[in-house]
Amino acid sequence: MNDTPALIRRQRWRMNPVTLKELRGRMRGARAFVVLSIYLSLLSGFALTIYVLYVASLNATSYGGQIGEFGRSLFYGVLGIELFLITFIVPAFTAGAISGERERQTYDLLRTTLITPRALVVGKLISALAYVLLLLLAAIPLQSLAFLFGGVGLEEVGLSFVVLLVTAVFIGTLGLYCSATRRRTLSASVIAYGAALFITIVLPIIALIVLALLAPFALGLSNGSPSLAVQAALIYGGGLLTCISPLTAGFVSQALLSGQGVLGYFTQTLSANGSSITLPLLSPWIVFSVLYLTLAALLLRRTIQCVGRIDSNNDALTYATKSSEKGERSP
Amino acid sequence: MTLSAPDVNAAQPAAGDNPATLVTASADPIIETRNLVVRYNRRMTAVSDLNLSVPRGAIYGFVGPNGAGKTSTMRILTTLLRPSGGQAFVAGYEVSHDPRSVRRTIGYMPDFFGVYDDMKVWEYLDFFAACYDIPERLRGPLITDLLALVDLTRRRDDMVDTLSRGMQQRLCLARTLVHDPQVLILDEPASGLDPRARVEIRELMVELARMGKTIFFSSHILADVSEICTHIGILEAGQLVMQGELAEIRRQLMPNREVIVTLLDKLPEAKQALGAIAGVQQIVDLPDEGGNKRLRVDFTGADTIMAAMTAALYAQGVPVVSFAEQAHDLEEVFMKVTRGLVT
Repeated sequence: MNDTPALIRRQRWRMNPVTLKELRGRMRGARAFVVLSIYLSLLSGFALTIYVLYVASLNATSYGGQIGEFGRSLFYGVLGIELFLITFIVPAFTAGAISGERERQTYDLLRTTLITPRALVVGKLISALAYVLLLLLAAIPLQSLAFLFGGVGLEEVGLSFVVLLVTAVFIGTLGLYCSATRRRTLSASVIAYGAALFITIVLPIIALIVLALLAPFALGLSNGSPSLAVQAALIYGGGLLTCISPLTAGFVSQALLSGQGVLGYFTQTLSANGSSITLPLLSPWIVFSVLYLTLAALLLRRTIQCVGRIDSNNDALTYATKSSEKGERSP
Repeated sequence: MTLSAPDVNAAQPAAGDNPATLVTASADPIIETRNLVVRYNRRMTAVSDLNLSVPRGAIYGFVGPNGAGKTSTMRILTTLLRPSGGQAFVAGYEVSHDPRSVRRTIGYMPDFFGVYDDMKVWEYLDFFAACYDIPERLRGPLITDLLALVDLTRRRDDMVDTLSRGMQQRLCLARTLVHDPQVLILDEPASGLDPRARVEIRELMVELARMGKTIFFSSHILADVSEICTHIGILEAGQLVMQGELAEIRRQLMPNREVIVTLLDKLPEAKQALGAIAGVQQIVDLPDEGGNKRLRVDFTGADTIMAAMTAALYAQGVPVVSFAEQAHDLEEVFMKVTRGLVT
């Protein structure tokens, strides 16, 4: 047929049907816009509060002219809110994505169509991330206030955006994985929220405590400084610890960027007992991104396998439930 | 017409025919299972050694009590469940080895509604059409055709969850047709519907069979089955107790047939003429009805005996008002072959 190549080309550019459906549903009615409005007014209220506090502190002390400080606190404040937004919203959108289809009894319908498990899972992920991206983009005008006051560079904005996005992708795949492996949305949500809170709150706290304990040794500040090898191991270990959560990775990367102008590769020289060693290091956000995206890819693969699997043993429990729900007598 | 099936060699009955005579036996089964076994949790056997054979173009009623294994069988045929043993073929494709080809061939309607509450009617069909890789430019006209077929054209822009149950069921049926499948697998299509919706679904199924589709549906409502089916399979406790053409099964299980003859007059002559025909077993007088005499003639054998009866009555000059065979109720057939076992 003559039009076959054209047809294939068209198909390649076609939107994922699941994404289209999800976005249609999500943006329908007032809900999506109400959420967006509430989110933006909270952010604005937060910015205003910081501004008022800042002006008050200026009046109380002296006119320091450190207006950039206001810019920075505004910027970091908004980032923090965005991180917790991702922690709370992404599981909500993804944990029910597949188990919800099961509960609505549309899962079997989808699986008898020609849609591939990959298109189904990726479609769900994209639609969830698209809305999060919308929320992040909607906050940009507010963040640009920080530019107005100075103190924040373009690299810092870009860096924070990457960290947020990688976090969203990871939590999104995590939510989908829970949703595919759990039968009920409730248990999928509990696990997804637990994991999301763990990586955004518990991990940074652990990292902070461990780093606070190790830092004196690693930097050779404590008395009886350890050997270079131990110091190097501690630096790498501590560095890795900062890389495993978005909060610490983002924070340390920002500190390196604003303090030493380091965005990627840098070195640290250690010296003890007259000898010295230069350690090659990477800014945490790079390690963080590679680590999280790899984990996300693995989770995504598992999720797709799980969705594509044909059961050989229907859950006897659901089968019995379904029969009794029908409530019909045999002839 | 986008909906007409490509297979022309399927039965092409004329409109208005009694559906029971639509299809003659076919040697070309479109659904076939060989020694199919379904076991749950290794212990409970839902289906054992099932050998189904559904001819192309048939309306096949899959009858049996709840828990007999109908849904399990259908889930295997729709590639949702992997058989514990045996094989199942749809249009020549093995369900475990080539599920994608099977999915392209079948339209499946489960015994529950898979309805998204945040979708419009046309979006629902559009979504599933997209899932079947139907290009966007073809979907608009397709949806128009499908909605017209199931009589939902006016509800095109309504939300799916505002439809009545019967309408949702018709929408689900339309959904099974988006990719123009050869085979429709419908699990309890009439369950939970009010009588009117039930009749509408039944008419739609006959209409679809007329378009050349093979319809494989399960039911425990025998009236539905006997009115529209060409073939039936009776499943009990996971085993097929009977399968074949409905008329043939009736004949085999109910060898005694009966004809009710209504006459204006000449009762003795009629009795004499009918009694002389080989195969007639007894002639019973029935009470008069509206001044007309009535007889019940019990006989065994083929339709030729009935033809001989009418010829004999005509030859005697008997004024016959009506001459009709009493079809045996399918329930009698059902009661005869099943033993009331449920797994």
